[in-house]
Amino acid sequence: MKKSQYISSQAELEALIERYFEGITSLEQEDAMRQCLAHCPWSSEAIDDARMVMGYFAAHSKQHRRSVSSGMRQGIIGIAASIAVILAVGGYVLWHQSQPGDMCIAYVNGTVVKDNDKVMALVANDMSKMDDATDAMTNQLSSLGEALELDNE
Amino acid sequence: MKRITIIILACLLTSIAAMAQNGLNINRLFDGRYKKAAGATEIIVTGSQAHEIGLTVYHSVSVTDKTQAEIIENLVVKDGAQAIDKEVEYRNGQLYYGFYTMPKSKRSNRYIFFLNQNLARKSPKNVVTLIYMEGSASADKIKKLIRK
Repeated sequence: MKKSQYISSQAELEALIERYFEGITSLEQEDAMRQCLAHCPWSSEAIDDARMVMGYFAAHSKQHRRSVSSGMRQGIIGIAASIAVILAVGGYVLWHQSQPGDMCIAYVNGTVVKDNDKVMALVANDMSKMDDATDAMTNQLSSLGEALELDNE
Repeated sequence: MKRITIIILACLLTSIAAMAQNGLNINRLFDGRYKKAAGATEIIVTGSQAHEIGLTVYHSVSVTDKTQAEIIENLVVKDGAQAIDKEVEYRNGQLYYGFYTMPKSKRSNRYIFFLNQNLARKSPKNVVTLIYMEGSASADKIKKLIRK
């Protein structure tokens, strides 16, 4: 691996990265640091973070990519996890918004009924209509049963 | 990388599922058209009042207009074709009564009741009623509810 002309050790690179983020590096040092980040094989949390910030994923050689440190991998997983959390929270918010809020209202011949008891009485009336119909079905079934029994006697 | 792709795909699918609408044909009837109509009753109960009867949504429409009755019956029959369980009774070639258990939506059970009282043998009335119910209640619980 090609090493930077100005950086000969990992510690030196890490120190330079620190100075870079403090904004006290010269243009020449910045250039050397960028070159080193793109080509040097060293890896540490600070170096990997700097590579991520500066977008050096693509610049890595295949060989270096294979030796991506666990720190870097954790970084990628962290980003993926963040995306996952954002999507999940977004999904939950959308789901929550689609849930009905509190409502108890009826419209009878164009008149609005907002009294909960009156509305629930209308609901009970609906239910009772259905009950009558199911009773009719049950009666029909039992008369069919009776007819079959008579027929078999 | 595979793991990351799987995580992202899983989350995307969850979000899409959360956004999915319940897609029933009868939803068209709940667009507010009966709110001001003479001879029509529309009831909407959601939230705490609906929870009292074991539901999250109770939405019903009763109409006396025969042309509307036909529209309602057609839409109910269309949805009924997708039902996972149904109890229906036809009289004179028309749907008299229908209780449909629809496929779940957002983990909620969904039920459709339909009744055309014009076809009742005992004291027929010019009323067609459609009820849509959604909630965790089972079909048996719903039936008990209407027998209260």
